[in-house]
Order: sequence, then C-alpha cells, then structure tokens
Amino acid sequence: MILDTRLLSTLDTVSLQTLDYVVILAYLAATVLLGVTIGRRIRTGKDFFLGGRRLPWWAIGMSLVATDIGGKDIIGVGGAAYDYGLAVGNFEWIGCVPAMIVAAFVFIPFFWRTGVYTIPEYMERRFNQGVRTSLAVCWLIFIACSLGVMLFASGKMMSELFGWEITACMLITAVLAGLYTCVGGLAAVVYTDMIQCTIMIGGCFLVLVIGLVELGGIDGMVTKIETRQQEISRDGDGGERMERTSLILPVDTGSPFPWTGILFGLTFVLAPAYWMGHQAIVQRSLGAKSEFQAKASYIWASLLKSLIPIVIAVPGLVAFALDPQLVDGDRAVPMLVSSLLPTGLKGLFLAAFLAALMSSVDSYLNSGATILSHDIYRRYIRRAASDEHLLIVGRLTTLVLVVWAAAFGLTVSRMEGTGIYAIFQTLLAFFQGPALALLLTGVFWKRANGTGALAGFLGGVATAILLFALSQESVVTRFSLAPLFQISEPYLYFSVWAFLVSTALIVLVSLLTKPETEEKLRGVTYWTDSRSKA
Amino acid sequence: MTPLHWIGNFFREQLLMIPLPVVRGIFLTLLIVLLVWVLALPPAITTPLGKPRRLATNLKTWAALSLIVQILIYSVL
Repeated sequence: MILDTRLLSTLDTVSLQTLDYVVILAYLAATVLLGVTIGRRIRTGKDFFLGGRRLPWWAIGMSLVATDIGGKDIIGVGGAAYDYGLAVGNFEWIGCVPAMIVAAFVFIPFFWRTGVYTIPEYMERRFNQGVRTSLAVCWLIFIACSLGVMLFASGKMMSELFGWEITACMLITAVLAGLYTCVGGLAAVVYTDMIQCTIMIGGCFLVLVIGLVELGGIDGMVTKIETRQQEISRDGDGGERMERTSLILPVDTGSPFPWTGILFGLTFVLAPAYWMGHQAIVQRSLGAKSEFQAKASYIWASLLKSLIPIVIAVPGLVAFALDPQLVDGDRAVPMLVSSLLPTGLKGLFLAAFLAALMSSVDSYLNSGATILSHDIYRRYIRRAASDEHLLIVGRLTTLVLVVWAAAFGLTVSRMEGTGIYAIFQTLLAFFQGPALALLLTGVFWKRANGTGALAGFLGGVATAILLFALSQESVVTRFSLAPLFQISEPYLYFSVWAFLVSTALIVLVSLLTKPETEEKLRGVTYWTDSRSKA
Repeated sequence: MTPLHWIGNFFREQLLMIPLPVVRGIFLTLLIVLLVWVLALPPAITTPLGKPRRLATNLKTWAALSLIVQILIYSVL
C-alpha cells in the first residue's frame, strides 16, 4: 500500500524514542572506546601519522569509502537524486572507480615506495620548497575550513531533522571525533571508519529496502516515477524536472550534472585529483603494511563504491516515487526515515548519519595535523624533531584543529546567508585542478621543474578564482556581463579550466627555465623510479 | 561579452551537437579501454610478492570485476 503522501509532506522533524537513543549511544560508545583502545599502542610519530605502516588493506579500503561519504552526503545525495535523478550517482561511479583503479596501479605504489607522509612532502622532493609550502598551505586552508563547514552543515541538518540544538550537535561531534583521533591517530581513524562504513551502508540499505517494499519492488518504483513525471509535466512545471533514471544528461540540462561536466570536470580532473592527490585520502594508503596491500585497499574501495549510489542516491528516487511535492530535496531521505522506519531502526539510521559525519571529521583532523606537523613544524620550526617529539606535536595540532573547527563552525553559522558557505563548498575546486597538473607533470614529465610547477600551480588557482568570481551574480550584474557558465553550480568546469591553464603554464615556464638535475630526479618520477620502470 | 564568453559558447555549441547515444558510447569506451589496460598489466604489478599466484589474490581479477560492473551500469542507465 502506498503511504498517504499528504502526510509525508507535512512531517517536520524525525521523532526518536528511547530505543533509538540507546542505539545511537551504543554506536558512539563503541566508536570512542575502539579509538581510545587503539591509541594506547601509539608510541611514535610514525604510529600516529601512518598507523606504524601496519594497516591492512580491508580496513583501509572501508576507511577510504567512509571518509569520502560525509554526513551531509547521506542526506544531500538522496536530496539531489530527488531533485535531479540518478545522475548524481556519477560522482560515485564514473567519478570514482576509473580514477581509483589508475591510482591503485600507478600512483599509490609509487608514493608508498617514496616513504613520504604527505603529498606536499613529495612535491618538495620532486620540485622545490615553494611548491611544497604552496600546496601545504592550500590543503591546510581547505581542511581547516572544511572541518568547520562540515560541523556546521551537519549540525544544522541534525537540528532541522531531529530538533536538537545546533551548537550542541557541533560541539559533541567535534569532541567525540577529536578525542579518539587525538589519542589514536591514523590507526584509530581507519579502524573506527571501518565500523562507521558498515553502519553507514547498513543503515542506508535498510531505508532503501523498506522503501522499495513499500513501492512493490524496483519495477514498482520505476513505474511510479514515470507516473509522477507525467503528472508533473501535465501540471506544467515539468520543464525543470530531469530524466530521473538516466546517468547521462544533455549539455543544456537544468541540473548541475551535464555529461560534459561529468566527463571533463569530474572523471578527468576532480576524481583523479581526489583519489591520487587528496591528503586525507592518500595518507591512509601510505600507512598500508605493504605496497601490495596499499594497491589492494584501493581496489577493494572501488568495489564498495559500486554499491554506494544504490544505498544513498536511490532512496531519493524512492522518496520521489512516494511524494514528488517536497519543496526541498534535502527533506526526501528524512521523510523516508520518519515515515517508514520503526523505533530502533530510526536510531540506526541516525547512527549511520553520525558515522558518515565522524568518519570524515576524524580523517580531516588527522590529515590536517599531519600537514601541520610535517610540512610546517618539521620543515620550518624544528627540522631535527624526533619521532617521539612529533607524536606530541601531532596530538597538540589535532587538539588545535578540534578547537578551530568548532569555533569556525560557530562563526559560519553566524554568517549564514552571506554566501560564505557557497565559497567554502567550492574551495576544493579552486586548487584540485592545479594540484592534479602538479602531480601528472611531476610524476610523468622529467622536464618539469620547480619554477614551472610553482608558476603553474599559482596560475591555475588564480584562474579558478577568476572563473568563480565571473560566475557570481553580483559581479555579473555590476559589470553588465552575461553569466560565464549556463548551469547552476559550475564548479566542475572551474576545475577543467584551472587544470588546463596550470598544465600549460608548467610546460611553458619549465621549457623556458633550467631543467632539474638527474640527481634531484632520482626515484621521484615514474621514469627514474627503478620499480616503476621494471 | 568577453573573450572568455566567446570561447565558452564555442565549445558549448560544438558539444551540444553530439547526440546522447554517442556520449554513452564515449563513457563506455573509456571504461572498456581501462579494462583492457588492467587485463594487460603484468602479474608482477597485480600479485603479492613471493606468494603463489592465484585468481583470488590477483588484483587484476577484482579491478576487472569493478570495471565490468561499471560497464553494465553505464550500458543500462
């Protein structure tokens, strides 16, 4: 029987019972306990930042997936599927799997062999100190801002969905994730992520299965979606509605996911940059027991990734089939949870939401601390710092980042409506393209040099910022220009252009300046690394 | 209109002319090329050092499975 959709549309918050709270508390207690227990074995900086290089492939693989899916994604991806259809699944399928497989066989074993702790550290070995510091500063700004924005966005979501106080939500998440990350470092992050990945997939799968049963299975859902689309078209506002079960949308689609953005921006630039060069992602594979296990972790994660859109995007389609009249797509998944899940399972879904949030927060905390400790403290303040000393520094910097994240999250919440949130959401697109250009030219082109790399990176970032500015309504109006991009949220296009400009500058400036010496290049490019060549 | 608008519009008009079935073909070709590359990788890269080579411990098997799932998804949806 189909639910009364008028009732669904009017639901405000998801009400929880005692059993739900018991499930949530059990999850939180188990996570913190595991993290703190692992922390007792941490003795050195290597243990803290790279899990002592003893991490197994299966834990890293699950951690990669858990880190990638944030709390906001659990609600937001379902919401985007509700608004625009399954095309949002591209971000987890073609926007992940090909890049992960290339990374697994080419980049990850290469970085693992170099023994670096961070990607900026590799950049200094390959290019120079300026490139390392520029990239490290960009990563730090991004990670620090992302932590605050993650806490704010998820706190706001929890406050709207469950009626909890936003500041309390932000502070509790920051303190709990901060506690076990500070004590246990990367190992605690990876093993807790493993639990979080299981709960996240399990909780979302539950919503999906119950939703599909309600609709009479997959065929029932597809039929219902077609009927709903026809109803909407008849009512006259169907122009904005997308083909909901298609992954490939035309260039002039009204959604942010035209095939050109998905192929050129996501598949060719953002995804490789993310899976091959994102510090929070690559760092855990650098902590693998062996080079083979580092590769295996990525392949395992790519298999898990095939499942993710099914459990987090399809519920949005289920919600559309049940009720196409929601004003805000982000209400779609909460609506399903509220109306379909019994007591206890609602708690499990909320635990899945918290798991997704905490698995991203802990990873960003650990990566931020690694960059601060290695690329700033060890590089500029105390070059001879011992491994034991770096452990203390790592824990202190994690603590500083927790305090910063909470404070910045509160600041963002006070500045809501000023557009600051949109800027931080786009921040990654500003330097991911240029960072990929650095990686590709650094690894594969021996003639690329430090001067070219620095010019290319800075030029690429400037290009992305310029394109962002030129697509802002206030700028367009002021200079009486037509909008530069004709889709909403054109960040996929910024990264393509920033990558192209960056690569062109690296090539041009490198050819005009002196090449690096053979000594400098030994072991740091694909062609000068003996194992890669073999 | 700035030069950036001209460049953007030029690319947009060219890309608008490509029919969606051809685009689907491009997506599938990309995945198939990657699958062929994975299958052609030497065993030294895809198997653990010093251990007997079995199908289950060969990363090529799982990477290929992952890509075949993607090919099926992009063929149907």
